[in-house]
Amino acid sequence: MNSKLVDGAECPRCPADTITHLATSPVPGVWDVLQCTHCLYTWRTSEPDRRTRRDAYPEAFKLTDADIENAIEVPAVPPLRV
Amino acid sequence: MPYDDLRSFLGTLEKEGQLLRISDEVLPEPDLAAAANATGRIGENAPALFFDNVKGFTDAQIAMNVHGSWANHALALGLPKNTPVKEQVEEFARRWDAFPVAPERREDAPWRENTQEGEDVDLFSVLPLFRLNDGDGGFYLDKAAVVSRDPEDPENFGKQNVGIYRIEALGANRLAIQPVPVHDVAIHLNKAEEVGEDLPIAITLGNDPVMAIVAGMPMAYDQSEFEMAGALRGAPAPIATAPLTGFDVPWGSEVVIEGVIESRKRQIEGPFGEFTGHYSGGRRMPVVRIDRISYRTNPVFESLYLGMPWTECDYLVGPNTCVPLLKQLREAFPEVQAVNAMYTHGLMVIISTKKRYGGFAKAVGMRAMTTPHGLGYVAQVIVVDEDVDPFNLPQVMWAMSAKVNPKEDVVIIPNLSVLELAPASEPAGITSKMIIDATTPVAPDVRGNFSTPAKDLPETAEWAKRLQDMIAARH
Ligand SMILES: [Zn+2]
Repeated sequence: MNSKLVDGAECPRCPADTITHLATSPVPGVWDVLQCTHCLYTWRTSEPDRRTRRDAYPEAFKLTDADIENAIEVPAVPPLRV
Repeated sequence: MPYDDLRSFLGTLEKEGQLLRISDEVLPEPDLAAAANATGRIGENAPALFFDNVKGFTDAQIAMNVHGSWANHALALGLPKNTPVKEQVEEFARRWDAFPVAPERREDAPWRENTQEGEDVDLFSVLPLFRLNDGDGGFYLDKAAVVSRDPEDPENFGKQNVGIYRIEALGANRLAIQPVPVHDVAIHLNKAEEVGEDLPIAITLGNDPVMAIVAGMPMAYDQSEFEMAGALRGAPAPIATAPLTGFDVPWGSEVVIEGVIESRKRQIEGPFGEFTGHYSGGRRMPVVRIDRISYRTNPVFESLYLGMPWTECDYLVGPNTCVPLLKQLREAFPEVQAVNAMYTHGLMVIISTKKRYGGFAKAVGMRAMTTPHGLGYVAQVIVVDEDVDPFNLPQVMWAMSAKVNPKEDVVIIPNLSVLELAPASEPAGITSKMIIDATTPVAPDVRGNFSTPAKDLPETAEWAKRLQDMIAARH
């Protein structure tokens, strides 16, 4: 399992800099798949800037800590039956 | 002749001129999604797409838009590719009457060729995953048939469910899944989580074309999708036993992923560009741990593009949503002629019906809202006369424009249930609902001046057939 942090990488969607490496291209050196450990946004390094760069990422899709903390549960976890 | 797997159906699509092989090198993003998105913009008989030269991958094969046209939908059901939509729906409803048809168990499933287990599981090494829409939180499995069982009644074949749910890849062996509360897998998960247990699941990808249709079909909780597939195929559905869960899965799948939905855990998921033409999420959703992957050598990864309609999703779930509503309405009201529930999974429905007496059409509209599917969808109903084809939108617009007196014929009912994904619901899951009665009033409802309608000439139907035959013979 690849779970090494990627140095210097930044999440396009949330401000986190804890980015892990999920996959690399079967043809070596073409692209990598990265993931933000905070908001779980996942991207391929070969995607357009609007999906991979924080400064080009659309405002409408950015996530704040509050968005993540306040996200509703679907479906809700039911009470434990005793 | 029914198809036992995806590959044999792709062969037929190619033979019928309904599959386009794209052999030029394309980027995984944005090309795959953009090409599939484009199929919805080039006319209603667009082909399926097959990619085998995707940058950075070596053996990837990706099929998209497999059900994404009326021609492909007809071929999936073994009908001629030019079968009109109304006839496809009526034939679907006719075959339904053979339900249940017991499946046929086979041992030699091709997905037994390769296996990854435990620590070796790496979804990214098996599937060429990719993103669809700009704002999606990640890469999705959006056309998989997910099998789960009722934890309180695990041996009940009918309560075993096969459904399509959105699934996001969160890691080499981790997925997020969206079980909307009204869906059967959510009922299974609720029962497991109430006692603190994980819910085993099998996720099957790249299935025969009828399996995808029944997995996306709103059926009753205890009805078996495999037995419905048999009815629609006109032959028993081939199934096999998944090695880890022991669940029944399609024999012909390209990939079978087994694992558990982890009990009482939620993680951020999405957003995802949904069938409503809007993003939904991010929400905290259940997560799956993958314990085993079985797959055909060089599996075909089948995915569908969805976003602003129409997309493949609409062709896939359009007819199969019409049929349950048609059947359930006819049980109460045999006067119902046809039901078009193809718009956004039936959030809007058009029904043609004969009338018993004044006010009858509005009763038909209200019944549509109280069917099992209607409770979560059917927010708007247009009811038209029996001589209006609800699949012919110019005819429907004629009925709306000529027959509706808004004050009497538009009925709005507040605060009814709808699925939470409905963008107009407020709060999420609650909406007002509307019936537009575009039928001609009958006694004792004596409003309007409808006594002298112009009808098609008696010879017109014969001439329509004659012209269609001449056009067909030209090709
Ligand atoms: Zn992030």
